[in-house]
Amino acid sequence: MPYYRCVVPRDSVPYDQRAEVARAFTDIHCGSTGAPRSFVHVVFDEHDDRWDTPYFLDGGNRAGRPEELKAQLLNDLMSAFREITGVSSDEFSGRITEGPASWTMEGGMVLPEPGEETAEWYEHDLQSQAAAGG
Amino acid sequence: MSRVSYSCTMQEGQVADDVRAKLADGLRQVTADVLGEAPDDVPVDFSDIPTGFGFRGGEPSTTSLVRGSIVGGVTQDVREDLMRRICDMWMEISGCTVDELVVSARDT
Repeated sequence: MPYYRCVVPRDSVPYDQRAEVARAFTDIHCGSTGAPRSFVHVVFDEHDDRWDTPYFLDGGNRAGRPEELKAQLLNDLMSAFREITGVSSDEFSGRITEGPASWTMEGGMVLPEPGEETAEWYEHDLQSQAAAGG
Repeated sequence: MSRVSYSCTMQEGQVADDVRAKLADGLRQVTADVLGEAPDDVPVDFSDIPTGFGFRGGEPSTTSLVRGSIVGGVTQDVREDLMRRICDMWMEISGCTVDELVVSARDT
């Protein structure tokens, strides 16, 4: 977590835009929450059927953050997506659902609750980035 | 019918088909060991994220995600035991590192 799934029409978002959206989402999420960068997952899921809107952001985060922060985060993510892809507001909708951090293990550690992250957790992120050459 | 099921999502090209069969067997065995479920009854499905469609930390991802659903739920101690054993099994069979795997076990 976080896990951001961008549901998009087939062949509508080229690789360069997908990569830019992924970087933007990572910047926004980490800037808003302080989470380590290596914990931000962004995937693109192409579809042939029309949903309520052709483009949809389906996010999954750790529960426990203030409502204002969550609303701002979703707004910022959707703004970035629209800016990068050129998709209009009426073509794009989104949501962020939440689950207990303790239900997920990442990097061999059970995720901490928001606000309860330890120095060890961030240190692990730095080690992961170094190992990946980042 | 098992009360546990798994959905595994991997980056395209990261895990070969014959390895997936071993991973599915491993998930079923771990589930039997920890939760007492009959291994043959535990559904496991796999899906791929095409190359260029999955990112982690803003870079192309090599991470696999294993999502378990447990009807009725379990205690946190049992959940952590299950997730840790899945991590160990998955790394041993697939050869991935601990940083290339996310495991969740959700109560439903």
